[in-house]
Amino acid sequence: MRLPCLRFSLSTLTALVASLFLLQPALAADSAKEKELKIGFVYVSPIGDGGWSYAHDLARQELEKMPGISTSYVEAVPEGPDSERVMLQMARKKYDLIFATSFGYMDPMLKVAGQFPDTTFMHCSGFKTATNMGNYFGRVYQARYLTGMVAGSMSKSGVIGYVASFPIPEVIRGVNAFTLGVQSVRPDASVRVVWTKTWYDPVKEKEAAKSLLDVGADVLTQHQDSPAPQEAAQEKGVYSIGYNTDMAKFAPKAHLTAATWNWVPYYEKLIAEVRGGTWTARSDWPGMAEGVVDIAPFGPMVPKEVQDKVLTKKAAIIEGKEKIFVGPIKDQGGTVRIAEGLVAPDTDLLSMNWFVQGVVGSTE
Amino acid sequence: MNADLLIALLAAAVVSGTPILYATLGEIITEKSGVLNLGVEGAMMTGCFCAFITAKLTGQPWLAFFAAGLAGLLAASIHGLVCLVFQGNQVVSGLALTIFGVGLANYLGTPYIGLAAPGFAPVPIPGLAEIPLLGPVLFNHDPLVYLSYLAPFGLWLFFRHSRFGLGLRAVGEFPAAALAAGLNATAYRWAGILGGGFFMGLGGAYLSLAYTHLWTNNLTAGRGWIAVALVIFAFWRPGRAVFGAYLFGGIMALQLRLQAGGANLPSSLLLMLPYALTVAVLLFSCRRRGTLGPAALGVNIEPSS
Amino acid sequence: MALLRITKRQEPSPLWRSALVFTGAVATALVLSMLLLTVRGISPLEGLSVLMTGAFGSSWALQDCLLKAIPLFLCSLGVAIAFRLQIWNIGAEGQFALGAVGATWMALSFGGAPKFVLLPLMILAACIAGGLWAMIPALFRQWLGANEIIVTLMLNYIGILFLDFLVYGVWRDSSGFPMTAAFSENAIVGKIGASSVHWGLAHCAVLGLLCRLFFRYTRLGYEIKAGGDNVQAARYSGMPYSFLVILVMVLSGALAGWAGFLEVSATVHRLQPSIMVGYGFTAIVVAWLARLNPAGIALTSFLLAGLRAGVENLQLDLQIPAAFGSILEGLILLTVLAGGFFLSYRILFKRRV
Repeated sequence: MRLPCLRFSLSTLTALVASLFLLQPALAADSAKEKELKIGFVYVSPIGDGGWSYAHDLARQELEKMPGISTSYVEAVPEGPDSERVMLQMARKKYDLIFATSFGYMDPMLKVAGQFPDTTFMHCSGFKTATNMGNYFGRVYQARYLTGMVAGSMSKSGVIGYVASFPIPEVIRGVNAFTLGVQSVRPDASVRVVWTKTWYDPVKEKEAAKSLLDVGADVLTQHQDSPAPQEAAQEKGVYSIGYNTDMAKFAPKAHLTAATWNWVPYYEKLIAEVRGGTWTARSDWPGMAEGVVDIAPFGPMVPKEVQDKVLTKKAAIIEGKEKIFVGPIKDQGGTVRIAEGLVAPDTDLLSMNWFVQGVVGSTE
Repeated sequence: MNADLLIALLAAAVVSGTPILYATLGEIITEKSGVLNLGVEGAMMTGCFCAFITAKLTGQPWLAFFAAGLAGLLAASIHGLVCLVFQGNQVVSGLALTIFGVGLANYLGTPYIGLAAPGFAPVPIPGLAEIPLLGPVLFNHDPLVYLSYLAPFGLWLFFRHSRFGLGLRAVGEFPAAALAAGLNATAYRWAGILGGGFFMGLGGAYLSLAYTHLWTNNLTAGRGWIAVALVIFAFWRPGRAVFGAYLFGGIMALQLRLQAGGANLPSSLLLMLPYALTVAVLLFSCRRRGTLGPAALGVNIEPSS
Repeated sequence: MALLRITKRQEPSPLWRSALVFTGAVATALVLSMLLLTVRGISPLEGLSVLMTGAFGSSWALQDCLLKAIPLFLCSLGVAIAFRLQIWNIGAEGQFALGAVGATWMALSFGGAPKFVLLPLMILAACIAGGLWAMIPALFRQWLGANEIIVTLMLNYIGILFLDFLVYGVWRDSSGFPMTAAFSENAIVGKIGASSVHWGLAHCAVLGLLCRLFFRYTRLGYEIKAGGDNVQAARYSGMPYSFLVILVMVLSGALAGWAGFLEVSATVHRLQPSIMVGYGFTAIVVAWLARLNPAGIALTSFLLAGLRAGVENLQLDLQIPAAFGSILEGLILLTVLAGGFFLSYRILFKRRV
């Protein structure tokens, strides 16, 4: 039997070698062309909300512009079995990387990750990992502390209102960091918390803001996705501090600053790792130093010396010289929860379900 | 509780109660004609979106308010079509209208979530707004609130003293007798459904034009159902509807102020208050005699050949 | 000039006519809702195909449908029992929540008990909790004449908030999040073989069959049916009417509670607020579309579960908002309801000379 492939003449061989050399640059360019990556996002609320999901979707839109990347998302996915099915669908459709950005997606994602070892799963705001599933969150409490300093400096009545969404560790941690920031400049001030049990409901959130104004709050802040509390503050002629994105456009006369998210740098780094094959499952908790959280530009009414003080503190946090939850810290009942000189470990922060002294409100 | 807090609470009760008041009046009109429309939530939500989008596109709040009424009317006409033309079950048709109306508004509204539109702002009435207690509670609001003060009185006149209003009530009580007397019962019921839908739409408009100027899904958040309950509480009388709506608005405002005031209670329990109150109010109103609704409520008029 | 003459049909419609009208109604609803897709610049045919593949296009899609159909079926079976007597139980959502709470209570208290003790205990607690929650509006209705539509609806909100109260409070997991600790292995209803469908499917089959037997062969079942057709007749028949009202509500609530049990035990393995996704409301649509008949409920729950899965596919592929599912559900119910007219009435065209 003669193998046809052996019937090479010298000329064909040279031609082949020559063409190989000619092809070289093209081949090189081919391997440099990055792997096509399909990325899926699962959101808990509609993306138009201007808040949490919106901040993630802004980053998704940035990623979409990068070469070789296609993205898709499903919004308003209820936590629980529905989210499991959505993630299953994405995995079956050969998505390479799936982001799920709400706490309740943790267990469903863990189940799906077990069935699709070739897909990379990233869960935001939880604590479980698997070989192909990592988790991540941002230390927005650092920004909360700084905004608390601003609020404490600007309040005359010493009563500050906090329109809060759900009593979960993420929100409680924010209230605590904010209160510590307030107390660092105004030790006698109290922070009053009203729970709306909504992430985005302008009607209810505005009413909650008004109720805080009625009991004498003269600075408002929020852990909500709608800017309604900002509106309420401006209508009453008092100050406000935003959340998620710079909310100055909703209340230019009231808006002092905001604790803001920017997911782009983190997502870019992660995608580079996944492409390069260097990604390993882990828990990431980037903060101000990584550029994931920040505070929005100050409003013109914030005095220069307050701005300077806050910016000095910010620089110290970025350098890692300053930590937020450093003992002694007492809870509402006066019990010491973080002992003198201790820095609360991340695991405690992630499951925080008590208020620091100076917060008026229930944690349920 | 000091006087300032009380005044703030009462003023908040009026504002929270206004969208419910419009919707309750709408349902009263419809039920007086003998048709039960459980689609209030759907009609409200349709109106709510229509008001927002009209205000956003034209910048005319009054036009938007009127357009919301028309949207509510159109939504209610689906109920009319199913129940009056096709003889469908009124309870189920109303539920379906709620599912459909809320879905439609959310579907069309999704691209606009988080966007603002022009609307109404509080306009104190000169003179009246300075009256102690009453001024800040009643006369320091937006024009839609003032309009809602006039509506119950107008409806009362309509039901008591106009031929059309009396005909409407007759059809709701004894359609057969009304037919025998030469009234076109089906036409009256159409009027009840469409007029009611118009008011439900206005209730929805209040939420997106005055209460807040921002759009999001599910802005009505169950207020339509509260309105259905308040109709029973109000004994189908417009005047009592005012009382019921403000009572309910007051409880909604109160639960938040209890939290702000430092009542250290779990938020879930405080959030239950408005719903528990609705049940309580219903039980209270059921114990009275002679306060039943229109006799033919929920019963279709069979087509005669 | 053509003249419409409408007369009431004396005989019940044959099956073929019901099927024809039902198909026609669903088709109308589909066409109308697909036209809505053009608002967003999407071709209706493409939308329909994405919807259908997502719902029924593969074996795993079918398994997903079955999974979702299980709670829908049980809730719907429950509300259908109440609807038979013309009692409007809109409260399946709240009864589902209470059922989940009852089952969780047992799972947390007796987590160490063997499976054959713990699971029946959980089912019992779920049925009692759901049944009692449904009994409240029944009692209010019979004693005070309170409208059951409103009371069941308000009890939905209260029941869900009660679930919240527990998971945000006494039952909160050590992670600090609003959910209970994960259930022990003994509190979990397992999967059937290698599929993703759990044994709750078998519960559905048994309960559905029992329900059919109850209405077909027992006197009580007969009286409920008769009572629904004619309230006056029921008042003079064997069982006191109030007893029937309370009975149907308790049964109704118990079935919704059972669905709540399956959701925490078989699907989520713990109690958390996110189990409330509106099965109780869709169940009403299902029951009515199926004309309250158990076999029909089984088929319709499967179809509506498919619709929900299909709408997720629409979101994923075409970025259609989630609310599209409600539009579809609402429209189907409206058109089927209107279509019922052609079953009860005969329309004749007459030519006037």
